[in-house]
This record gives sequence, C-alpha cells and structure tokens, in this order.
Amino acid sequence: MRLLRPLTLFLLLASTVLAASPLAGRWRLDVARSTALDGWTAWDLVIGVDGSRVTLQHDMQWRATKRTATNTVDTAAPSVVPDFFRVEQRHMALYPAKGGTTAVRAAWLDAGRTLRVEADTPIEISQGQALMRIYEEFRLIEGDGALVLIELHSTRPSPLVYRFTRVTETSK
Amino acid sequence: MNLTLPKVGPVCDRPGQSKTGPTALMRRLIPLFVGLIIIGAVAPCRAEVPPGGTKAGFVMRWNLDWQVAGGLPEKVLLLSLQGLANRNAPQLYIIHPPEYQWEITAPLFSFYERKHGVKFTAIATAEDALTRFATSAKGYVVWDPSVPATMNVAFTISGLEDALVVTPALIPLVEKHGLKPIDDLRGRYPGQTDAQIYTDAVARYWARCTHDAVMLMGGHVGAVRMPGMADWGVRQKMFFHDLSANPKHPEELALEQKLYSQLTPGATVFGWHSYGKDTEEQHTTLLSSYGLKMEGLHNLPNLSFNCQFTFTPGFKFTNHGHVALDARLTAEAKVYMAFVQSDSIGIGVWTKPGRGQLPFAWQVTMNWTKFSPAALEYFHESATPNDYFIGGLSGPGYMYPNHIPADRFPLLMKEANEMMTVLDEHVMEIMDNSAADGNVGNTDLTQETVDRYYAAFPNVIGFINGYGPARTRDLRDSRPLLSYDYYIDPRRPRTEVGADLNELIALNAKRPYFLLVHVRESNDVNSLVEIVKQLDGAVEVVPLDVFLKLAASRKTYTTRYQDPADPKHFPGYNK
Repeated sequence: MRLLRPLTLFLLLASTVLAASPLAGRWRLDVARSTALDGWTAWDLVIGVDGSRVTLQHDMQWRATKRTATNTVDTAAPSVVPDFFRVEQRHMALYPAKGGTTAVRAAWLDAGRTLRVEADTPIEISQGQALMRIYEEFRLIEGDGALVLIELHSTRPSPLVYRFTRVTETSK
Repeated sequence: MNLTLPKVGPVCDRPGQSKTGPTALMRRLIPLFVGLIIIGAVAPCRAEVPPGGTKAGFVMRWNLDWQVAGGLPEKVLLLSLQGLANRNAPQLYIIHPPEYQWEITAPLFSFYERKHGVKFTAIATAEDALTRFATSAKGYVVWDPSVPATMNVAFTISGLEDALVVTPALIPLVEKHGLKPIDDLRGRYPGQTDAQIYTDAVARYWARCTHDAVMLMGGHVGAVRMPGMADWGVRQKMFFHDLSANPKHPEELALEQKLYSQLTPGATVFGWHSYGKDTEEQHTTLLSSYGLKMEGLHNLPNLSFNCQFTFTPGFKFTNHGHVALDARLTAEAKVYMAFVQSDSIGIGVWTKPGRGQLPFAWQVTMNWTKFSPAALEYFHESATPNDYFIGGLSGPGYMYPNHIPADRFPLLMKEANEMMTVLDEHVMEIMDNSAADGNVGNTDLTQETVDRYYAAFPNVIGFINGYGPARTRDLRDSRPLLSYDYYIDPRRPRTEVGADLNELIALNAKRPYFLLVHVRESNDVNSLVEIVKQLDGAVEVVPLDVFLKLAASRKTYTTRYQDPADPKHFPGYNK
C-alpha cells in the first residue's frame, strides 16, 4: 500500500500535466512551410487530451468539400481504431481498406512536448490490399506557438513534414 | 479560375483541374473513301471546300482582352459576324495569342495555308471586317452588358435573324455600314432572373432553333466573359443559354431539363457550364442522363470556319501503334508505366517542348472529325512515333456513362466506334465524375456500365478509366480495363510526384505492376522525364497499347467496380 501511494501520486500528477498539455488546442497548417498537400487546401488539427486518451481531430477542406475525422489514441495502451483517418495525397489511388482496422500505439515523449503515434493501417490498392506503417511525431516548437508533424511511411522514401501554428481567439 | 485576368485559366474546372472540357488520341489504314463517306454522313456543315486550288480567306488577330468593360463587346460583334460570314463558305478565321486556352489557332492557320492552299488576307479592325462582311447580316440586335443573359439571347437572335450582336456603344459602327435594328433587348428584362429571361427566350425562339444542338454559353462570368464558340452557335442557329444544372437553382435546372428533353436523341451540347453557377460534374451528369454529348469549351474558336474543310486528298489516319492489334505479349517482373493526357490535345502540351521524349497517349476529341477535321489532321501530321491517340471521352463526346440511359447507350457507342475506326483508335478512355468530389473520391464505373462497354467495343485493345485516380478494373478475354493509379497535378512539386509514384510502387508490391498515370494538360513532358529518373527499381515507361497488352497477360490487379453502396450522384442531385 505504501508503494502504491507514490505511484498513484505520480499518475495523478502526470494526468494533470497532460490534461494541461501544451499541445492541446487548435492548430492550423502553415501551407507555405509544409510538404505540399495534394487535394487538400486547408487543414486544422485539433488536439484534445483527456487522461491517457488523446484525440487528433482533422478538419480538412478542399474547395467546398469539408471533412472532419478524429483519431483517438491511448498513450497508456495499444488500441485498435476502426476508421483510422490518414491525411492522404488525394491523387493517389490509395484508399482506406473498407472495414479495416488500424493498430495504433501512442506515447508522450520529451516531457509531454512530443506525441508519438505509430499506426499499421490497411490500404486498398489496385493489387488488393497492403499494410502501411505510419510513424508520426507531433512536436511542439520552442515558444509553443507552432507544432510540427513529421510523418514517415514504411512505403514512402521521404518524410512528410507539416508545420502548424496555434489558432488563438485573435487569430481565428 | 481567376476571372479578372484576361488570360484563360485551366481547361476545365475539375477541382485540382476544371474541367474539363476538355478531355479528352489513332490509326490503321482506312481507305480514304470510307473516311470521307463517314465524315460526309455526320458533318453538319453545308458545304465543303473543294480540295486543290486556291481559296480566299480572311484572318483577324485578336488580343486577350475579354473584359466586359473592355474588349468583349467588339469581340461579341465580331463573333456574330464570323458566324454569319462563314455560314455559306469559310471566310473569316481568328488567330488568338499563344496564351489563349486553345493554343492551336496559329499552327492551324499555317496548316490551312500549307495544306488547303488558303490565301488569307489580313483584316486589322472591326471596321474593316464590317466593310468586308456586313452584307452577311440583315441588321443588328442590341444586348445590355448590365444584364449578362441578354448576350446569350442576342446570340440566339443573331443566328435566327442574321443579326449582328452589339452593345449600345457599337450601334453607330454597324449603322455606318447600313445595318438597321432588328431587336433591342435593353429594357426587356429589367430585374428579371436568368430563369425568367431564358423562359421568355425559350417561348420566343426555341421552336425556330436547331434541336440537334444547343449552345451552353457559360464559362467565365463577371468582369471577363469569353464566348469564343459563339460563331459556331450563330452559324448553326443554336439556342444560347447558361442555365444552371445546380440543384440550388431549381428554376434554371427545370428549364434546362425541358430543353434537353426536347433535343434530338444523341444531340450535342456545345460550350461549357457557367463557372458562376454550377460545376462540370453537375452539368455533365445532367446532359448524360439525357444521352446527350458535351463538346467544349465555351471559348473553342473557329468551328464555323473549321467545319467546312475535309481531310486533304490522300490523307488517312494511321496511329502510331507499337504492337499488332492481335498480338499477345508477356509481362515481365517489373513496373510498367503509361502516361495519358486527356482534356483534348488542342489545349494541352502538344505545341510545347518535350513532346516525343516519352511514350504518350493523347485522348482525341473525336467529334472533331465532324467539326474540325483539319485540326485532327494537323495533330496527326505532327505526331511523333511516341504519340499514340485514343478515343474518348466515354463515348462520341464527353459524357458520364453511369448516367447514360440504357436505351441510348448502344447507338451512342456505335457512333463512337465509327469515329474511332476513322481515326484508327483502339483504346477507349472513360470518365465518370458524377459522384466524385471534384476529380477524387468515387470516380468508378458500375458493373453494369462496364458490361455495356465490353459489349459495345469488341475490337478495342482495352479501356482506361478516370481523370483523377479510380479503382474500376477488369479483364475480359484480352481486353483489360484499368483506371488511373495517379494523376499528376501540374502544381505539385516534382519531388513529391516522384515520392508519390515510388510509394505506389512500394505498396503495389507484386510484379508486374501496371501503373497508369494521367497527366494534367498543363504539365510539360520535360518535367515528366525528370520524374521518371527518380523512380525506384525496374520501371519501364511503355506506350499505352503495349501497356494494355502486357496487362492482359498477367492480371496482378483486382477486378473491381463501383461499390453498390457508394453514392451514385453528387450531393443534392435531384433529377
């Protein structure tokens, strides 16, 4: 019991810290400083933290098309996500596999300033189906006003780097 | 689409692209008389210029000023004059600057001089044009630039009454040439909606207009309008409109449905949809549901002139095929890649440097066998061995096949087959964006549609599908149907294009992998050469006919059609 107390205290503290995660909030893609998107013209990333659960809400836009999708990950344990949203390059014939589930692992790094997400997601391709392993780091940049998302695919020879700026009441 | 610039934008307005358009490349030896018989049977033009000898023509060189408050009114006047002057003989031809969307007017002008012996006399001004051709008109009709739809009503009147179309400011000019007022639209439609204006115009004029075609004079709206195809509509006595196919405009949509329902079966909708009212997808879905054909764009010039020339004596289309039609090839364990450009070759990279460096398939606007044979001959004459022409788009014009009524499909495709025979084309390109999100999303064909194509085109090498990426695939006997796995947006950095293609190659790990790529019209071939150098592993760029023959030999792709659970229409569709 004596041993459990410090652990409980640590978890409570960690929970409090993450609840007030500096990554939480709405972030807007800085198109000029990011890898070129194909088929999307605007992207807001909304990060929410509730205990070990982190929601990554993607508000996407292309012309009149607006789409919102949320991936919920758990930093305490691996999870299975039924409709994992991948910000795709829209002119590639790669589609989320219908009915597919994605194994996701997430963790806080760098004292809560980086969120790492690893996902194995099934993709429909012209030859049937393939698994894409995605590695993402959401890193807070010095000053906390900018966020960079570095995304690696097991199938892509170069990283995708997206830079976001925090959306504040005054910048909306 | 930047409406404030005098230069034209992308060919169509498919998101990431538009459009359209155009889309939409040829040949074995056909005895000339067969070609001429077929062309003669379908050509809507009254007279053909006899081959040989010297013909007299006149030419004007225009600038890029299509501002409503600038150069548009005079161009509208001249377009109506061109349509009337060219009604009985090809007399007036317009050369546009190279930056104009249809970049072939100057090369085609030279072709007419060289191959048809036309001796052109330059006309410098509208005044000079009227001096030469005012007798083609019986009077004039006045339109009101503050009521945009009156321009289209005036063009309709122009064709029916042989009237020149003028703004109030141009009345003195035409009266100076002895022309009298026939009609005046100022004050007729104050405060009325476009639906009300066109309802009145239908009541007044529709019965007298041709029902074989209609002119959808939309495209640019606002400060710039670009009715470059109006000469053709005037010559053919078409009804002009820019009615919306957007369900948000139910009155306009209902009126347009009424018009389309009264057109001759298999008729053609010339022009292009209004960039300010609806989308290419909405309009093409609508006309396809009536079994009609789209032929654009709204700024396609000189059809009233072009339609009066046949192919030159002795000319026959011979496509640069790279494999015998009955050949059987065997694919190796590598990546095979083929490039295709649709959007009609007249607005693409044809005249830009680099063509010929890579095997390229070009989707031909097949209807030009009827309306612009010389342009097709020009393209074929200047083709390199790497340029391979294919038919499309979806049929004898631009259509969305998932929506073509079943009873109209066979006749339409018979017409397409006939034109492909003339053009020595052996691949049909299909596209259906009726349920797509622009050019992405659900761009697939239903199994029923695929069944119809296989039945209608027994002699093709194969089919290709899509504009953006799609996932309809099939293989029946030796004829594959493959969709684009990638679309090259001209604005996408070339390094990212290379990375995208390498990712597709990595994911589609079985070999052979058949990677079909659609090249947006404003890409240049030189940049594609550089992209190919970035690709990993054993990759071979092959001509499309070879590509399809190889794809027939080893089916490493899945058979797939549009998911029955997927939406069949764009959001809000309401027939």
